[in-house]
Amino acid sequence: MHGRLKVRTSAEEAARKKKEQEIKVKTYRAGMGRIFEKRKNGQLDDEMMQITGQILSRNPDVYTLWNIRKECILKMAESLGNEAKQSLYDKDLGFTEQCLMVNPKSYGAWHHRCWILENCPTPDWEREVALCNKYLKLDERNFHCWDYRRFVVKKAKVPAEDELKYCTEKIHKNFSNYSSWHYRSKLLPLLFPHETSPARPISESKLKEELEMVLTAAFTDPNDSSAWFYQRWLLGYSQPALDIAAIRISKNLAIASFSKPIDLRTCEIETNFGFNFNPDRWQPVQKGNKYDVAWIVEDSFELGASDLQQYIFKCRMSDGKDYAINLKKCSDGFYGMKCPKFEYEFGAAVIEELKNQLESCNQLLEYEPDSKWTLLTASLLMRAIDRRGYHTKSLEYLQKLEKIDYLRQGYYADLASKWAIEKVLEEWIEQGDLTVAIDLSNLNLATIFYEQYMSIAKIVILRNNCLSDRTATKFNAFQFCENLDASYNQFSTPGVIPHIPNLKVLSLEGNKFSNNATTRLEDQMKNL
Amino acid sequence: MDEDLPTEFDLVVVGTGFVESIVAAAASRIGKTVLHIDPNDFYGGTWASFNLDALQSFISSIAESPATDESKQFNSIKNASQIWHVTTPTATPADDAIPEGQEATEKIWTKENVLKEFRRFNVDLSPKLLFSCGKLVKLLISSNICRYAEFRAVDHVCTIINGQTRSVPCSRTDVFNTKDLSIVEKRLLMKLLTSCMGYDEHPEEFKDYEDKTFLEYLKSVKLTDNIIHCVLYSISMSNEQTSLKDGIDNTKKFLNSLGRYGNTPFLFPMYGCGEIPQCFCRLCAVFGGIYCLKRSVSNVSIADAKVDSIKCGNQDIKASNIVVGHGNILPDFSIPAGGTGVGKKCGGISRAIYITSSPLGAEELNSSGGGVNFLKLTDESGTGAFVLQLSHYSGTCPKGLYLIHISCSAKSNNPEADIKPYLDKLLTTDHPPAILYSIYFTIDACLRCTSGASITNDSLSNVFVCCGPSFELDYDESIDNAEGIFKKIYPEDEFLPRAPDPEEIVIGDEDPVSVADDVITLDSVKEQIMELEAGLLHQEDCMEENSRNEEMAMEVGEE
Repeated sequence: MHGRLKVRTSAEEAARKKKEQEIKVKTYRAGMGRIFEKRKNGQLDDEMMQITGQILSRNPDVYTLWNIRKECILKMAESLGNEAKQSLYDKDLGFTEQCLMVNPKSYGAWHHRCWILENCPTPDWEREVALCNKYLKLDERNFHCWDYRRFVVKKAKVPAEDELKYCTEKIHKNFSNYSSWHYRSKLLPLLFPHETSPARPISESKLKEELEMVLTAAFTDPNDSSAWFYQRWLLGYSQPALDIAAIRISKNLAIASFSKPIDLRTCEIETNFGFNFNPDRWQPVQKGNKYDVAWIVEDSFELGASDLQQYIFKCRMSDGKDYAINLKKCSDGFYGMKCPKFEYEFGAAVIEELKNQLESCNQLLEYEPDSKWTLLTASLLMRAIDRRGYHTKSLEYLQKLEKIDYLRQGYYADLASKWAIEKVLEEWIEQGDLTVAIDLSNLNLATIFYEQYMSIAKIVILRNNCLSDRTATKFNAFQFCENLDASYNQFSTPGVIPHIPNLKVLSLEGNKFSNNATTRLEDQMKNL
Repeated sequence: MDEDLPTEFDLVVVGTGFVESIVAAAASRIGKTVLHIDPNDFYGGTWASFNLDALQSFISSIAESPATDESKQFNSIKNASQIWHVTTPTATPADDAIPEGQEATEKIWTKENVLKEFRRFNVDLSPKLLFSCGKLVKLLISSNICRYAEFRAVDHVCTIINGQTRSVPCSRTDVFNTKDLSIVEKRLLMKLLTSCMGYDEHPEEFKDYEDKTFLEYLKSVKLTDNIIHCVLYSISMSNEQTSLKDGIDNTKKFLNSLGRYGNTPFLFPMYGCGEIPQCFCRLCAVFGGIYCLKRSVSNVSIADAKVDSIKCGNQDIKASNIVVGHGNILPDFSIPAGGTGVGKKCGGISRAIYITSSPLGAEELNSSGGGVNFLKLTDESGTGAFVLQLSHYSGTCPKGLYLIHISCSAKSNNPEADIKPYLDKLLTTDHPPAILYSIYFTIDACLRCTSGASITNDSLSNVFVCCGPSFELDYDESIDNAEGIFKKIYPEDEFLPRAPDPEEIVIGDEDPVSVADDVITLDSVKEQIMELEAGLLHQEDCMEENSRNEEMAMEVGEE
């Protein structure tokens, strides 16, 4: 067998691997034992750095060891001059890079890097940006690195233009990249703020370009959700902005509701009509919630004493900003309401672009009438173009989607409920009379949205919908409701209907309660 | 050089082309003794890559020798001609020749300064591309031969539409970025590609077109002409007559190779395709194969319808089996007459090679100095031509110059005439390449394909003749050919199993299960291990006990 290769057999190889594994386990245990012993004795020395280094370089996810290294470095740096200190930190920086080779998604290693740079005397931020470029070239979807990039870019003072350019490049390479789209949504508002409205993230002209780009991505691969999320953001379907929703103060009850759940106990409230609200007395309408959309105070309020031109209710919220609402005086107190911002109102150029996009969708629907994402996009576009005009048509598309894409039936039903409620609520707020009923009957509602805006209403009619037990907690917000008609829905558990203090009439007929439950319900009704 | 060779081999391989090198490597890999010789002073035979100097003399040597001379080793290549389209200018080529406004740094290429860079050329006789998930890539990976080679992902798959050279949007990224398609077209294209991929799962979608052409199907799904052109000619590399099934199979093959390496489905071997046979030779040598170039077989002795031994130099060498590569022939070997051959023939390729000073197509197809681009051209008769443009990034030509290879089915003994319609297409585009030098030749079929007779059965049962390059883009048929020969010789053995990595190789008398000593480097930890050893043994006992109990508990639970 001269000159011939001798190769391990697979059994020999397996035996060798097993042996290697055993030694690794032993070393790990021994190393960890040694580390904890040394730490107990306060020996934060070179040897400690070496042992932690040996283990971390094989498994960079042991958090404890990174923290011990931090202790070591801080202690060793105490006695050093700036230059020596820097070289100590640089050495560890090099070490984390070695660990990132092993696992480029190690939380511990990336975080340790941040720590070093924030603690060393002369951090080189440009070098870090270059490092990010390198790692994002290897894996453009490594969100750890994107995160780190945002951190170092800020420190290196890289212009936002450059970063946007970088993001664009990455998206052109592979648009299936949440991190890059997200970063984009952070950079664009800095570079292209809206001409007039601070509530709108980006300028109309940039928006037009972005809409075009994102629709191209969506049409190229509709199954990639990253583009869809970005489109939603552009069209303004993200979280609503924080604001006061509605206020009502009567003789014995006050309610304050907001567009988003907040902790009212941390807010400062101020009125110009002599009402002082002690923050501690506010209670969330859903007992036990720390954050809630609606808050009440049960107290006796002196009404009618003052006579002002304007009654202003002001609230300083956790973002440090003041939010105010003008209240009206009525026979039994004060009330005020704001219409929620359902969608952005776009300028002519953007509307033009949206119309083109809708046209493309409709063109496609001719070829593929059952294409679910085209239907959804089309209905979103219609609402962005003319919410009221396209109301019926956009709901029709959602109904169709419930059939085609039955796995997401619930999602479409909820979205349709939302749009249906928006229409009724908008009209109710516009007419402005509290005593007029909010009539949400016969709308196929699967759930309730905007309940905080209805918190001041006297009559809420939800008759003949598809509401079930899961939505009953929303009734908590109806604190001023005297007449609640929830008949002909899908409720099945009597206990889920919460206690509403002012309620005089509750209709629950035609629901799915069992006989037994009905009796108990009747008892409950007697207590009203 | 005059060192004696061993006098007995399991396998003697004559010729170092692609097919015979694979057979040599596969035999050596399973422990056979292999002697691999080549009468040429270079590796690769018909599959070789040459620098420009060697290429010129190679072409001249063929052009000067009579085509019928069968003693010539190069008879697999014929009808060769070469011509320079630039000459050394009599006037000074310098500054005044450069038009106003043009960058002064732009080089004016003359025959002289092209030749000065002859070492930077690696010109393939048989250029090919590898599908990223194709047979050869799979073989290179499964056999662990890939570590000997380096590849460049092809930059663009191109097509010519209305006289414009354009990049074919083939990947998701391309479709997203292209400005040539409207968003509705993008959607339709993506949808078509997806439904082709799902052909096996949803054949009902194609039911009405089963016996129709692929083109008829494409028209039925309301695609625009632009998209039909890209899909039909470039992605599926089909033509108007291709059946639905073939069209879809081709499309699938293309798509399956996408997204693995780079932006197109193709790889090109750095420094030319001549590297590929050499990778197999290297593996053969690692497992003990012996190599001799410039050695030919001067005589054979035959017994019982077998070649018993060959004369190589002044040695008689016994060989159990003999594999003969394309373009080689054993002495006194008569070519059996008659027959038209079974199945597809190898060879029959008209070839053109151009050195150009400008690339094909606009800047975006050749960003930062030029891409490795591929273009499939069609003609009325159907088979069409493969066009490959190589820039200096491929390691096959100097910076600023380009190689353009054209291969088509040979229709005549005049390769230039065969190629002309395709060249004309390139020259009438918006950015035609500026040709400095051109070569034409024909690659002939191997002896077996030419004669059509099965040599092994009819004459000598232990002599196997390899095919030459086939008119195909990748190497699929050649690999089948090599595997077929290997299986005939060694029907029981595995064809190119994975080769070991260096760390799996046992050196000298080393204990095969020993572990490298450097696993633990710190004395303090070693100490700790010693302390742990005793305690650990005890722990392990406990653990075993525990796991046994757990197992029992599980069994009980299942009952």
